[in-house]
Amino acid sequence: MRWRTAVYFLVPAFLLYTLFVVYPLLSALADSFWRWEGTARGGFAGLANFTGLFTTFPLNHQLWPAFWHTVVFFIGTMVVQNTFGLLVAVVLTELRFGRRFFQTVYTLPYLVGGLVVGYLWSLLLSPSFGPVNAALRAVGLGSFAKPWLGDPSTALPVVILVNAWQYVGFPILLFGAALAGLPSEYAEASRVDGANAWQRFFRVTLPLLLPSIGVVSILTFIGCFNTFELVYSLEGAQGNQPTGPGGATDVLGLIFYRVAFQEGGADAIGQSSALAVLLFLFIFGIAVLANRIVRRREAELT
Amino acid sequence: MRTRRALAILAITAAMAATGACTATGSSGGGNAGGGSKVTLSVWSWRPEDASTYKKIFDKFHAAHPNITVDFKPYKSTEYNTILSTGLTQAGGPDVAQLRSYGGLQPLIEAGNLVPLDGKVAGLSNFETTALDGTRGKKDGKVYGVPLEMSTFQIYYNKDIFSKYSLQPPTTWDQLISDSQALLSHGITPFAAAGKDTWLLPLYDDAFAATRYGGTAFEKKVLAGQAKFTDPDYVAALNVLNQLKPYFPKDQMGLAETDVQTLFATGKAAMIPEGSFALAPMKAINANLNLGVFNAPPAPGALVNNPLEVGWVDASYGLNAKSTHQKEALELLQWMTTADFGHMVADDLKQVSLVKGVQSADPLLSQMVQDYTQSPTPYLMLVDFRYGTPLGSDLQAAGLQKMLLGQQSAAQVAGDIQNGIAQWFKP
Repeated sequence: MRWRTAVYFLVPAFLLYTLFVVYPLLSALADSFWRWEGTARGGFAGLANFTGLFTTFPLNHQLWPAFWHTVVFFIGTMVVQNTFGLLVAVVLTELRFGRRFFQTVYTLPYLVGGLVVGYLWSLLLSPSFGPVNAALRAVGLGSFAKPWLGDPSTALPVVILVNAWQYVGFPILLFGAALAGLPSEYAEASRVDGANAWQRFFRVTLPLLLPSIGVVSILTFIGCFNTFELVYSLEGAQGNQPTGPGGATDVLGLIFYRVAFQEGGADAIGQSSALAVLLFLFIFGIAVLANRIVRRREAELT
Repeated sequence: MRTRRALAILAITAAMAATGACTATGSSGGGNAGGGSKVTLSVWSWRPEDASTYKKIFDKFHAAHPNITVDFKPYKSTEYNTILSTGLTQAGGPDVAQLRSYGGLQPLIEAGNLVPLDGKVAGLSNFETTALDGTRGKKDGKVYGVPLEMSTFQIYYNKDIFSKYSLQPPTTWDQLISDSQALLSHGITPFAAAGKDTWLLPLYDDAFAATRYGGTAFEKKVLAGQAKFTDPDYVAALNVLNQLKPYFPKDQMGLAETDVQTLFATGKAAMIPEGSFALAPMKAINANLNLGVFNAPPAPGALVNNPLEVGWVDASYGLNAKSTHQKEALELLQWMTTADFGHMVADDLKQVSLVKGVQSADPLLSQMVQDYTQSPTPYLMLVDFRYGTPLGSDLQAAGLQKMLLGQQSAAQVAGDIQNGIAQWFKP
């Protein structure tokens, strides 16, 4: 009887999951091994779609830069989240008043879609009409006013900062919960031993937070490697050209979008599926590996 | 992403089924009355913004052809290609459909979705051959659409600013440069040129430098395999934009098309290279804009010694091979070749009609058409090099952006264009 109830509860989720996650994954895997003429499937292609990604001009010139941009995008976001995010979380736990308020404020952008955030920031950063440059000029820093999204040297850092701005609320909440969950005995004991605030944080609190830092990093990794809408709305995507000034902000998600939906040619389905499969394997592999390391650290702590 | 695609297809199929049901009931209403029966033609388009104007236009058609009613169904432009290609392969598709031009039209022709119109629509003789080229099948050379409208690309200038500093629209390259320097010294950006919307960059190059590479003559040679994009004349033409860089906005690569339109319309810039399609949006920003247009004078070392106007066919209307009302659809298409219809395209839809002898009531638009008829040059990458991937226009756009950022030389850009196009283009 109980067993049957459990099945009733599981079936809807299982069906939805199968229909919208497992089935598309498997069908993408299958599609990647065939030739395509528009939406009609041609002959068996073997690995041709995969090798094509690395040999067809101009795709072969776009793939590696996009990979490295994605890596930088991830590292930049992770650094901001694990430093600034942690700092804010620590400050908020010490705060007596307004903690809820600030938590809400920091989390708000996280609740808005990436497309909206990107569009708002592209207006703010507009070189001739945007308030950011207007503010710089107003305080006499006009020489710092730049086409932020149109300069190859600032485009990627700005995109990273906007991304971190949007998602920083999540680590703040997560670190906040972890900090609240730390038994106060540790802090008290170290205080009795004469440790100052710095020592208490770096020798006691931080090691105890490592599992949370691990989780934030893994989720950031997955999010960043799948990123698409923020870069798309900040920098646009046209035809099969790399995105951003001189291709400075081209990321893997955008390449997938271009190959699949823009100008992938007759074999768009095959080639984009191949790219999706590679991306999935890479993200899945790294995430599993990193998760295992974090678990091991966690075990050592207890 | 895959799921999204599947969902989109599902949604489209559902929409198809719904429209299919409507069309079926619509035409069966009078379908069995015999010879003089009433017929409803379904016409698809990617211009929802023109729906009310089209209603007026098709009312006129209905008045002259009382047995045919036109059901105009517009779809969102960005989704239209997918919807149309699905619609043409299934029941419930359109009888007559608005079609993209040149390379964008080929997949439908190759799939056999459209009826060739040569010999079936007598009015095709009301169009120039260059206009019909936009709707021709690349392989069989047949015409698949009645050209609807074209776009031209030229340089607009702000007459008030020019007269304030007593400048004249340039007739020589030296004058173009001296005008620009004068404007710069008054703190006004000479050319409102965008760099973020890279699709504009190939158009800029054609607008400023088609004279340098030779326009139509170069087009013929490169199509015949007698010239390459790496030829010195074409490389020099790419480099013309480098020479103009000092007169473009400092923040060019951060500016999108709407940004530069605003710069120009608000008087912060004195000139803008833009299309005929930009006239209405710029007037919308500033209704008092006092505008003139000119074409860039021949660039240094030019192979053509008079200014050229860039132009291309934008849209046409064609006939679905699966339509059950071929005769009536051909009547409608024939009507679309008449001067009457052309005038409505020019004055009501405010587009450049391609019907011979039709003039626009707007003096600027009519000057654009006149200039184009006198000394045309193609939007080279759109007209000839969008028949395979990578698209020529994408290669040129990405390359020119890198060139203007100082990351690539004109010769490298030309090399990439040649390299990419050679993958699919055979002279």
